Amino acid sequence: MIPLSYYLVFTFTLFIIGFYCLATKRNMIRLILGIELMVNAANFSFIVFSSYWREGFVDPLAHSFVIVSTALVGSVTAVALTIVVYAYRHYGTLDVRELKRLRG
Amino acid sequence: MFPLPLETLFLFVVTTPFVGWLLTKKNRQNLCGAYTTFGLIISGIALYNLFSQVLDGNVVSDQQTSFAAGFRIDMLSVFMATIFIGLGLLVAVYSIKYMENDTGTMLYYTLLIAMISGMVGVAFAGDLFTLYVFWELMSISSYVLVAFRKAEWEPIEAGMKYLIMSAAGSATLFLGMSLLYGITGTLNFQSLASALATAGQNPWLSMSFLLILVGFGVKASIVPLHTWLPDAHSAAPTPISAMLSGVVIETGVYALARTFFSAFVSFQVQWSLVLAVLSIVTMTLGNITALLQKDIKRLLAYSSIAQVGYMLVGLAVGTQLGLTGTTLHILNHALMKGTAFLCAGAIIYRTGTRQLEDITGVGRKMPLTAIFFAISLFALTGMPPLNGFVSELTLFTSAVQASMAWLGLAIILNSILSAAYYLQIIRVLVKPAASSEKLEKLKETSFVMLIPICIMAILIILLGVYPDPVLDLARKAAQSLFTIGG
Repeated sequence: MIPLSYYLVFTFTLFIIGFYCLATKRNMIRLILGIELMVNAANFSFIVFSSYWREGFVDPLAHSFVIVSTALVGSVTAVALTIVVYAYRHYGTLDVRELKRLRG
Repeated sequence: MFPLPLETLFLFVVTTPFVGWLLTKKNRQNLCGAYTTFGLIISGIALYNLFSQVLDGNVVSDQQTSFAAGFRIDMLSVFMATIFIGLGLLVAVYSIKYMENDTGTMLYYTLLIAMISGMVGVAFAGDLFTLYVFWELMSISSYVLVAFRKAEWEPIEAGMKYLIMSAAGSATLFLGMSLLYGITGTLNFQSLASALATAGQNPWLSMSFLLILVGFGVKASIVPLHTWLPDAHSAAPTPISAMLSGVVIETGVYALARTFFSAFVSFQVQWSLVLAVLSIVTMTLGNITALLQKDIKRLLAYSSIAQVGYMLVGLAVGTQLGLTGTTLHILNHALMKGTAFLCAGAIIYRTGTRQLEDITGVGRKMPLTAIFFAISLFALTGMPPLNGFVSELTLFTSAVQASMAWLGLAIILNSILSAAYYLQIIRVLVKPAASSEKLEKLKETSFVMLIPICIMAILIILLGVYPDPVLDLARKAAQSLFTIGG
């Protein structure tokens, strides 16, 4: 059996890649992909823990969490892509640096 | 099986688009708002039934084992749900007039009621995963509502910024939840509380704490995760700004309280210090930036950040009195900020501008709106006969009692600081304007828009003069946070 720590390293690497993507990329579609990566890291972590929590027992609850979460992130992506389409119509570009007329 | 108030809300989420479509066919679009209002009233009645069940500290729960997801309703849940449905009801009434010139109002009302049901679900959730699902329902509807006026660039840009930050926050939250699940094997609040009661210092627990704090912190707009808030709250249609500022960010504070006082009680000493520092930074930065604003909605949005800072004080103190203060301040803030945003919306509706300098002297043409606006602003500063004073005093007292007097001092200093910009709005409203034709034609706000504003302004005064019953309920609500493990 592969030790748990390997899986955790993978989870956090995936999460950090997603975060890095959010922080550095300029294309809005890539930002959405970064969010997908982050959520998938969390999903993966749930799957890993579901079988490691007790020897020889896979917790079905964690699997149902992941299924529901996949549906949720699908809806978020749908909304995000809709907004990207409208942003493209207004600005004529997918570069997120152009969206800087407002200052937080 | 959902609790009845939630089921009613879902029924109306599903039926509003159809009813709205039929009404649009018959050219009676305004009635769609009335239909939503009706749904919220029914849901409020169902909530009252639930209220009488949990009043004595009972808990309504449908969870058989710790391996299931479900609902767990105690006094705090009902208290929060009352605020959400109440403000939602008033905003729905207000929207009937405010949104009459927009197209697609049926979708607007559907999203509004979906957002409210998401928040009620967050309040009723008995485990972290149920909370997360309803959290996303609330978030997704609010993304679309912020970007609702899609023909303009500002809502789209603000919506994009809000979506990216908030979705990244949700992902972080979900990772934190998975770590909690890995440590304990459950996400049920009750089981988490009993499993982690004596956990002590564990690096994975601290990691999970950090991720969950960031995840909820983005929605609760804790500095430095606040940058989306002023843009999103000023770009959204004004009734939605009132909802976002009045209740959505408070949902984040509620979720923080619920999670911290069930899962992370074992190292409360450490995190209370973190929250104390965050609360001071949040309120100070919110107030100072608000001073610099020239746009009335952005000013109110920044003041919301400052108010979240006050609420965090109660969490940082962590005593029953502190949490009573937080709970009460959530209610009071919903009333105060709701009134302030709706009045600002009424002025924007008539004048068509958001700049402070352009609305000089409007108060002389719209006296009733200006009076209600002034009441809410005085309450926000924490002036004695109004409700903001009561909750801020409770928070201050709790901080002093827990020998964190510096935290109490920060509240007082910040209240003084905030008075500067709240009073400036009032000064602008009553200052005689240089004569312009635009101002001459201004009329008082229409009756439909004044009703919700008037109700909330009366409540602000009433809860300030006679706060005992609400204070008692808030105390019971705070008590239910502590009894979750037992």
